[in-house]
Amino acid sequence: MAGVWILAEYIEQSKELLNVGRELAGQVGVELAAWTWDAAWADECLAHGADEVFLLPPLSVDQGLDAYIRIIAEKARTIMPEIILVSSTLKGKELAARLAGRLDAGMASECQGLRWDGEKNSLLAERLLYGGAGVQTVSCLGRPQIATVPPRTYEVASRSEAKGGRLTEISEQPSSPVAILERKSREHQTQDITRAKAVVCVGRGMENQRDLEKARKLAGLIGGEVGCTRPIAEEMHWMPEDTCIGLSGKIIKPDLYIGLGVSGQIQHLIGTRDARIVCAVNTDENAPIFAGADYGIVGDLNEILPMLLEEIGAVKK
Amino acid sequence: MNQSLRGDVEMPNILCCYKWVIDEAYIRTGPAQALDMSVVDYKISDYDKNAIEEAMLLQERFGGSVAAITIGRPDDTKGLKDALSRGPQKAYFVNDPSFEKLEPAQTAAILADAITGRIEYDLILCGEGSSDLYAQQVGPRLAEKLGIPCISYAVAINVEGSRLKVERKTEEGLEVVAVPLPALITVAPDINTPRIPGLRDTLAASKKPVEEIGLTDLPGPYEARIQTVGIKAASLTRNGQKFSADKAGVKALVEALQKDGAL
Amino acid sequence: MDFKLSEEQELVRQNMREFAQTYVDPIAAEIDENSRYPEEVIKRLGAMGWMGMPYPAEYQGAGTDYLTYAVAVEELSRSCAATGFTMSVHTGLAAGPIFYFGNEEQKKKYLTPLCNGGALGAFALTEPGAGTDVGAATTMITKDGDDYIINGTKTFTSNGPNGDIYVVFGWTNKEAGGPKGMSAFIVPKGTPGMSVGGHFKKMGIRASQTSEMVFKDCRVPKENLLGQEGMGLKIAMGSFDNGRIGIAAQAVGIAQAALDESISYAKQRVQFGKPISKNQAIQWMIADMATEVQAGRFMYMYAAWLKDQGLPYTKEASMAKVWCAEMCSKHASKAVQIHGGYGYCKGFKVERLMRDAKITEIYEGTSEAQRMVIAGNVLR
Repeated sequence: MAGVWILAEYIEQSKELLNVGRELAGQVGVELAAWTWDAAWADECLAHGADEVFLLPPLSVDQGLDAYIRIIAEKARTIMPEIILVSSTLKGKELAARLAGRLDAGMASECQGLRWDGEKNSLLAERLLYGGAGVQTVSCLGRPQIATVPPRTYEVASRSEAKGGRLTEISEQPSSPVAILERKSREHQTQDITRAKAVVCVGRGMENQRDLEKARKLAGLIGGEVGCTRPIAEEMHWMPEDTCIGLSGKIIKPDLYIGLGVSGQIQHLIGTRDARIVCAVNTDENAPIFAGADYGIVGDLNEILPMLLEEIGAVKK
Repeated sequence: MNQSLRGDVEMPNILCCYKWVIDEAYIRTGPAQALDMSVVDYKISDYDKNAIEEAMLLQERFGGSVAAITIGRPDDTKGLKDALSRGPQKAYFVNDPSFEKLEPAQTAAILADAITGRIEYDLILCGEGSSDLYAQQVGPRLAEKLGIPCISYAVAINVEGSRLKVERKTEEGLEVVAVPLPALITVAPDINTPRIPGLRDTLAASKKPVEEIGLTDLPGPYEARIQTVGIKAASLTRNGQKFSADKAGVKALVEALQKDGAL
Repeated sequence: MDFKLSEEQELVRQNMREFAQTYVDPIAAEIDENSRYPEEVIKRLGAMGWMGMPYPAEYQGAGTDYLTYAVAVEELSRSCAATGFTMSVHTGLAAGPIFYFGNEEQKKKYLTPLCNGGALGAFALTEPGAGTDVGAATTMITKDGDDYIINGTKTFTSNGPNGDIYVVFGWTNKEAGGPKGMSAFIVPKGTPGMSVGGHFKKMGIRASQTSEMVFKDCRVPKENLLGQEGMGLKIAMGSFDNGRIGIAAQAVGIAQAALDESISYAKQRVQFGKPISKNQAIQWMIADMATEVQAGRFMYMYAAWLKDQGLPYTKEASMAKVWCAEMCSKHASKAVQIHGGYGYCKGFKVERLMRDAKITEIYEGTSEAQRMVIAGNVLR
């Protein structure tokens, strides 16, 4: 009965976790189970590879996910899964840590990579530390072994209509001393570059402050925000301090980062290393940023930027 | 809970947790992809400064008391002075030479044992995570061990009688929640801007009381639940595919981005 | 010998560093460009207890030792030499004379506001015809009943335009000559007969306000006499001993900033396919810079430590001042060299550092005057 459990705040991440979950379950030799609170979601989990789904009762309007902690922990005590994977959204992280606290379990946070060590009988996780300067490999001891995984670390598991699986309904009612009084949606915050899916970063190589407008336009096209390197804010005062990206500024983890005239000093690159795709445009072919970029163009921003705007504008239509 | 003479506004006793960490700005990459820690300095973990600041702001608004607590080795005394210079009236120093490179399960267990039966509190504040490991576990774990509710990633805290009204971050935006005291809250860095201690505050820090708690004062043992198998410098190198600086090159770049699903 | 700063001293340095990064760095270039007195920063320094560091709590000073104060001056000067100097002149040359030579009433009335941020201090000794040659002064101070009347012109008065409390020197007994003829008086702003004269447009430390002060039948009560008549030169020289430690610290701060900038630039400037930090010539320049900044730091700290121990420190303060000033001028220039053309342009900190550095060789006793002091001491 013991197995690999997955838990996520959103269905998309459930599907991602089922992917790595299936791999781990195979290595450990156990079943894969998912937790959710919605019947349609439960069906999707089964279709994406879960052997079993635990279906929790729905929350009342003033309850949050924390109302499930006690229930999940109790079940974990009886079943003692090998591994519990939780998607590290804000609530997911809290939930996972509290579960770990209740179960006295070891937990690896924000793992970039997971694998099972058959010899040690433990989960090996890779994660960043020291503000991104280092990569730590941790091994979880005891049972269960808990790990949180950032959204989009894994691809969504493949879907198969034919897949069967068990649905286990949980009857205990969720409860929590915390009451949600109000929910507010995020307004589109300009300059909240830490949450942006895409970031255009402006560096010293941008000669004219007027070109900032083009950078903003580019950011708008890719659905992102504009950030900058420290000299742009601190020395040239073209942009506010809180848009600085780097060691002493913001650390960002966008899907796409485009550096315009950014040389790529280490203090800046540390802030961008987690970007999924890094693009750079710079006149200096020896600029360090190219070593840390997936795609680069050695060229003059005055020529390249308008071309970029045109091409991306075209595909976005 | 201290009952205010004024009647309705309660004055909470606040305990804020801080960690004395390696200042990552001083870490360098050594040979063979190892991390070079030879010139590192230490600091109070950045988000813990937000926690201490929030405790002080709450005290300024609602009264009560603020104490700081930390776990470390016996010579980590500079952190105590730093923390006390930021406002708390006293500090608890849980120390032992073995308290080095603790992992979150241990930290939470030690804190819980140090607090239970020894320190009166209404509210415990923690940073959302530490700037060295950033595991973001200690706050929630500690709450569970103490059997109190936990709110994480808070951006605003208000005391309303014997409960707190807290605004916390979610993936979609914000939630306003009500939670009874005692409770534990982890704060997001957006919640405030930590004050820069003035000279007088720094000089006064050495005169504030520090209560030491040793390993022998605690039940123990504190076994690690995770083990670090290895640490290496993060590698920044990537693909490095270059495109020509003309229309064709830009077009090819955009196509590659599309294929990657980045557009 | 304990070469380590105490934890408290390290925290003080850290606090000043944070203060400077938060409030001074963002405006340093602008206040230099516009010769603007950073009033808001000085007020904040005062509010947070930084403007009367080495003076006792009974006058609302922070009661630190002189070493701690000097470290704070270095750290502030690292961000902006002008701001560091404003603090140093206020603390050492204005508050200093009142603390060391003033009576209880004077300390309560004048030292307290200088320490708690309520007032900015200034020091008016130098005259158009009397720089190193203090005895060539022509300011006359005549007794008139229970008052004294000051007539004369002072120049290069730092904090002159914005000062609230001035320490002014002049002849009360010209015939008695230098060591016995001058006296020092406390003159508060707004005293009739005292006016701020022409402002100086300077090469460097431009945010520090420097002006002439004109005294025409300026009447001050006898209660404002510092010490006794005739103690003027002694008060001036004593104040310089302290002030020099501050200037040495300021110079080290400037040199440290030059080093910081040079290291950062050398690592990122790529020529001939590699960062210039890989070139031996640049490496040696930076090595020398680092070595001499370290040496300078120990020199001013030693002088401060001697003072804190109650030991004689005049020679060491002079040595620190002359050496650190010449060191920082040299290395600020090297820093510009490392930056190449960019170092010569506005927008790069080293351009300002080089201009700021020069004055440290001149004020509070020129390098030549320092050498006289040292030689006089060593060849005794």
